[in-house]
Amino acid sequence: MINVDEKKMPWFEGMTIASILEQIEDTQFCSVIRLNGKLVSSPKFSETIVPDNSTIQLLPLVAGG
Amino acid sequence: MGQLNLKETTSVSYERAEVKKGYTDFSLRINLDTNNISITPIEEAVKEKFIGGKGYDLWMMWNAVSANTKWDSPENAICISSGPLGGTPGYPGAGKSIVTTISPLTGAPIDSNVGGYFGPYKKFSGFDVIQIDGKAAEDTVILIDGIENKIKVFSASDLPEDSYEMSAALTHYFDEKKPVNVSIVTAGPGAAKTYFGCLNFSWWDAGRKRVRYKQAGRGGIGTVFANKKVKAVVARFGAVSMKSNNPADLDALKQVTKAHAKEINTLDPKQNRMAIVGTTHLIPIMNDHDCLPVHNFKFGSHPESHVIGEDVFQYIFDKGFDGCWRGCSVACAHGVKDFSPFTGPYRGTKVFVDGPEYETVAGCGSNLGIFDAQTILEINFYCDAYGLDTISVGTSIGFVMECFENNLITLDQTGGMDLSFGSRYNTLELIHQMARGKGFGTIVGKGIRKMKAIFAKDFGADPKFMQDIGMESKGLEFSEYITKESLAQQGGYGLALKGPQHDEAWLIFLDMVHNFMPTFEEKAEALHWFPMFRTWFGLCGLCKLPWNDIVPEDNKNTKEPAKVAKHVGWYAQFFSAVTGRKVDSNDLITMSEAVYNFQRIFNLKMGYGTREHDTVPYRSMGPVTVEEYQSRAERYDTQLIEKYDMDISQMDTKSKVAALRQKREEQYELLKDAVYTRRGWTSNGIPTIETVKRLGIDYPEVMEILKKNGIE
Ligand code: SF4
Repeated sequence: MINVDEKKMPWFEGMTIASILEQIEDTQFCSVIRLNGKLVSSPKFSETIVPDNSTIQLLPLVAGG
Repeated sequence: MGQLNLKETTSVSYERAEVKKGYTDFSLRINLDTNNISITPIEEAVKEKFIGGKGYDLWMMWNAVSANTKWDSPENAICISSGPLGGTPGYPGAGKSIVTTISPLTGAPIDSNVGGYFGPYKKFSGFDVIQIDGKAAEDTVILIDGIENKIKVFSASDLPEDSYEMSAALTHYFDEKKPVNVSIVTAGPGAAKTYFGCLNFSWWDAGRKRVRYKQAGRGGIGTVFANKKVKAVVARFGAVSMKSNNPADLDALKQVTKAHAKEINTLDPKQNRMAIVGTTHLIPIMNDHDCLPVHNFKFGSHPESHVIGEDVFQYIFDKGFDGCWRGCSVACAHGVKDFSPFTGPYRGTKVFVDGPEYETVAGCGSNLGIFDAQTILEINFYCDAYGLDTISVGTSIGFVMECFENNLITLDQTGGMDLSFGSRYNTLELIHQMARGKGFGTIVGKGIRKMKAIFAKDFGADPKFMQDIGMESKGLEFSEYITKESLAQQGGYGLALKGPQHDEAWLIFLDMVHNFMPTFEEKAEALHWFPMFRTWFGLCGLCKLPWNDIVPEDNKNTKEPAKVAKHVGWYAQFFSAVTGRKVDSNDLITMSEAVYNFQRIFNLKMGYGTREHDTVPYRSMGPVTVEEYQSRAERYDTQLIEKYDMDISQMDTKSKVAALRQKREEQYELLKDAVYTRRGWTSNGIPTIETVKRLGIDYPEVMEILKKNGIE
């Protein structure tokens, strides 16, 4: 089981950030997330493997300086 | 009071105007030629049109300078204002000062939005805006004392030279018992020796019992300050509460303040964690999206960038409350205590560094090939102590390093310093030289535009190549984002009134990552709405970070998430509650539009403000060199084939660089056309008669300037 924005989601082997976002609505503006506290950006969503029991936070649209 | 050598030369008692609905309705002018101090009511019509903050500054400056005024002319004015909402404790970001002058870098009005307590203290002392003009004969300190209701001018000697020590000494001098009552504006020694001197605005950090600083960095306002021989401007005021602005509707103000502050307290820990990492979270994000400036904006990422981002700074920053305004719950103004520099006058001592923010880390770190938090902290510390803008310093030295690596300048010109990318020690030496006005640092301190001319004339460097790689526009150095893949942000920089600073528009992700504005019209719409709304913060005395760096949880479901409609609505409520002027979200845009267009015409008055001045260097649009093209060859090749329908099979990289350049430059010109149309400007970038009439800024002098430029 993983935790995405304080909601539980079932985990599966080989799960990536990209595959998680596919299951959630309104994520078109999500280009950065935190995976267990570490920032991961959209170019790495497909290659980032999510371990079981992970906590993920979807960050809002990046607003710059 | 302590024992500093200040000799009072002028002292004026005044009756402090009561603040009503966010305004005192008085301005203060201090003329340094005569030491004449004048307090003048602000007309209702000016208030109605210019709102406050940057609007007031620009109006005062417009009346102070002529088309012939240069940055060092006595009549050039430095104006500092707050704004009707400035000074509301607890409202996130509601303590900003806005500073303007004619810039030594651009020759046109520059504005800078800065934290610290000065703006609110000055307002509560009785003045919505202050204007300092003329030139003092000797070093001068100005005191605006809202506790004793006195304006004093002192001649000063033996003051500590650097900005940090001077502010600390003056804070204790003017209120030993309650240093929290004092906020000081200072420049440092570097401001007098360079064209990009900044101003430090102070506040008393009660938790750490020390003076802290924020910088009005851009455009050399500190240089003008030093040129006028002003060492410091001090504001002194006592307790501040929600009632200090005497708001029209205190209950409504409390309600909206509570709502916004609560949201930030709840959501910042789940979002960007700015209360812990400041803006350093942007380093890894920009790096991963190829937008972090590396080696003079040549590249957008670097494998070592992880050692200069939030992963490191969250442990280095000193723990404690870091709001640069009272009760600002974003509290992102972090610092590092017990830092020990390894060069310069503070070598081996322990100092407190205020910063770094993203811009400093990117500009003085990755952009220079310096991936070392210690060196970045030291650069940050000395730039602040010397009064130098870290953005102009970083972008200028990046240009110098690329020139050095391309043999446009050599050891003969740099005084024997190897200025290749990554030269940590020599970067610091260059900064020490800038502050002392010695050696090669003297040339670098003039900024990129002047360096280009000097390198070409005196060293025989190739002007065309320098034009391509010198990251300046309008004479101002770029702030620290790579824009090659975002046409909209190229416009965000190139069409910004004061020069390439991102405070008007930051559209990179909307445009490049999310492709939210594929057409020119959509880009133009964004380059209308965002600069107008962002201008509004400067009119009111606010910081923009609480608007869109922490957003409501349901923001992503709104029609246009980038606008953060709920917060815009709160700002309209905030404005209505304080001023009593009932406004909605759309009204905020109209308010700004008048001031924005006025500033564009102000540029025109000073000899700029037309299409040719909205030009950007090609480095900001695409790859200048073969090396740069090859670093992203797949992306560029694909664009040439798919977007521009070209057969590139027989083309070498040099030809591809040229082909891509032609396309991208064309796109930028088309963008200009679309934006000018949306803004109600001519194809030469000048507001039309219809536009100035619609906005009610058709003053006789405005119409005369338009006529002189062929607009009738
Ligand atoms: S958000 Fe940060 S910069 Fe803005 S006022 Fe608050 S502490 Fe200062």
